[in-house]
Amino acid sequence: MRPNSQLPGTGFVNRLAAYFITLFLAVTLNFFLPRAMPGDPLALVAGNSVRQMGEEHITELRESMGLDQPLGEQYLRYLGQLAQGNLGQSYRFSGGRSVAEVLGERFLWTFSLVFISLGVATLIGAPLGAWAAWRHGNWRDVGLLSAFFTLRSIPAFWLAMILIPIFAVKWRLLPVGDSYSFPRPDGFQQVTDVIYHAILPLVVLTLAYIPTPFAIMRSSMLSVVGSDYILTARAKGLSEWAVRYRHAMRNALLPLVTIVALDFGQLLGGVVVIETVFNYRGLGSMMFEAVKGRDYPLLQGGFLLFTVGVLTINLLAELLYTRLDPRVRGGGQ
Amino acid sequence: MSQLELGAAGLMKERALPSPKTSGHRNRWVVVVGGCILSALIFLALFPGAIAPYDPAETVARPFLPPGQGHLLGTNDIGQDLFSELVWGTRVSLVTGIIVSLLAVSIGSIVGLSAGYYNNLGSTALMRLVDLTLALPFLPLVILLAAYLGSSWRNVVIILILVSWAAPARLIRSRVLETVHQPYVESAVAAGGSDNRIIFKHVWPAARSIALVQLVMVAAAAILAEASLSFLGLGDPSTKSWGTMLYFAQASGAFLGDAWLWWVLPTGLMITLTVLGLVLLGYALEHRLEPRLNRR
Repeated sequence: MRPNSQLPGTGFVNRLAAYFITLFLAVTLNFFLPRAMPGDPLALVAGNSVRQMGEEHITELRESMGLDQPLGEQYLRYLGQLAQGNLGQSYRFSGGRSVAEVLGERFLWTFSLVFISLGVATLIGAPLGAWAAWRHGNWRDVGLLSAFFTLRSIPAFWLAMILIPIFAVKWRLLPVGDSYSFPRPDGFQQVTDVIYHAILPLVVLTLAYIPTPFAIMRSSMLSVVGSDYILTARAKGLSEWAVRYRHAMRNALLPLVTIVALDFGQLLGGVVVIETVFNYRGLGSMMFEAVKGRDYPLLQGGFLLFTVGVLTINLLAELLYTRLDPRVRGGGQ
Repeated sequence: MSQLELGAAGLMKERALPSPKTSGHRNRWVVVVGGCILSALIFLALFPGAIAPYDPAETVARPFLPPGQGHLLGTNDIGQDLFSELVWGTRVSLVTGIIVSLLAVSIGSIVGLSAGYYNNLGSTALMRLVDLTLALPFLPLVILLAAYLGSSWRNVVIILILVSWAAPARLIRSRVLETVHQPYVESAVAAGGSDNRIIFKHVWPAARSIALVQLVMVAAAAILAEASLSFLGLGDPSTKSWGTMLYFAQASGAFLGDAWLWWVLPTGLMITLTVLGLVLLGYALEHRLEPRLNRR
């Protein structure tokens, strides 16, 4: 535990430092992983295309990528390139496209999927959690709790495999997959087309996310049930609804957002598999295709982007929390 | 204070927290359901041959058969009996979950105990590693590792251990930190007990319940992660696991047809049941071993 005598402000510096240390370690992991594996690192760094090359070409490539140099020098070179935003060339999505370009193209799809479904899941899950908490121990609470336990145990990709044949194949209500149709419609139709394709992935992701805000809200509400300010609110003669939802739930919202954001690394996982089932054009299905095509530069770039995203969200959540809740300012944990 | 509490009880009348009795009652229900699910699954894992009519690795009929004619759930894309595959898959899932959780929680316990008890450079470095592992996006990391290590069942287990030890380590460390300043531990230190003796006699018993709950929770998470990995084709395609079955259902396109009803649906239900059984057991264990939670 950190002593409380710290100067105000050190919390921010500490968090920022921790952010960059973790980021640096992740980058280092990214660099050393392919080089620590048995076999020729060239194939792992450059991808499958190596197999089709001639001997001289390979030597040339090895030299151009700096793989003939000592490890320390390679590492510095890698860091230097990274600092310039150079993530190497993708091999699967060839045609001289850089990894950064492919990532840029894919990022927005995943970003929208995750944020919309996380938002909807919170809007549904949190009030339900609060509602269940006030009926603690009663059959409605137990029922909801069991339902969410079950939902948490369902593999999200399987949910997609169940919904696709029903909604897309049998009833033909929604598309089987992809992010938009071919050829892309013009004008406003393009927007509706994208929404139309996003519905099923969004539903599956939302269902996968709901148990988290539900559980957090339920337990944080339970912890305030007997607290003084709730008592005061009741004593003031406020309606039960106002006590529960305006006073108690409002107080639980900030920790809720923080915990969801800190859990982001775990939550993000689902999107990878779900995008794959739907052939959605985001980072998740890109990771999958990169693995299939042994496109290591792309795989590494994707992993790095996911890591940066998660770490940034974590940092923002911590900063927001310290900013809005004066009790934790000045570096408590 | 007592007057205020009386007032509180009056104000909250019906909304007072349920007595521990009701909590205990509910927990019993959870234990019964979770226990029944898990015993059935353990039976399947131990004696799959007693239930499954065919060898799941052998082609026994025409491919893509619907249910009927001696095949309860029909056959897969290469004519293997789906029901037999489903039964035998239990063993793969449970064994994966058990091995991963045993090793990951052991590592996590050792790291948590030493990082919590000793306060030196080593423990700081260990906790940095824990933070890093927990901060990295779980599934992308698993995919990255799987891509480099190559797909085999052993590698899946190794990868899952590599990503699963950190959460128990952090939980156990924070319990150890709470414990080391307790009078009974401090007096053991003052009495001149060796570090090892204090850790195992006095600190570990306080952290043991967390390790036990984590054992169940890590197993549940590992089974889900194994299914996801195998579904992505990053496991061993020749291992008859539920994730692999779903992988082939997707790869052959069968899930788009009627086959989802007898191929995809039961397979996912088995995964869900297994994870649910473990989650319920973990929940009940947690509430039994940590009585302060009974107010929740």
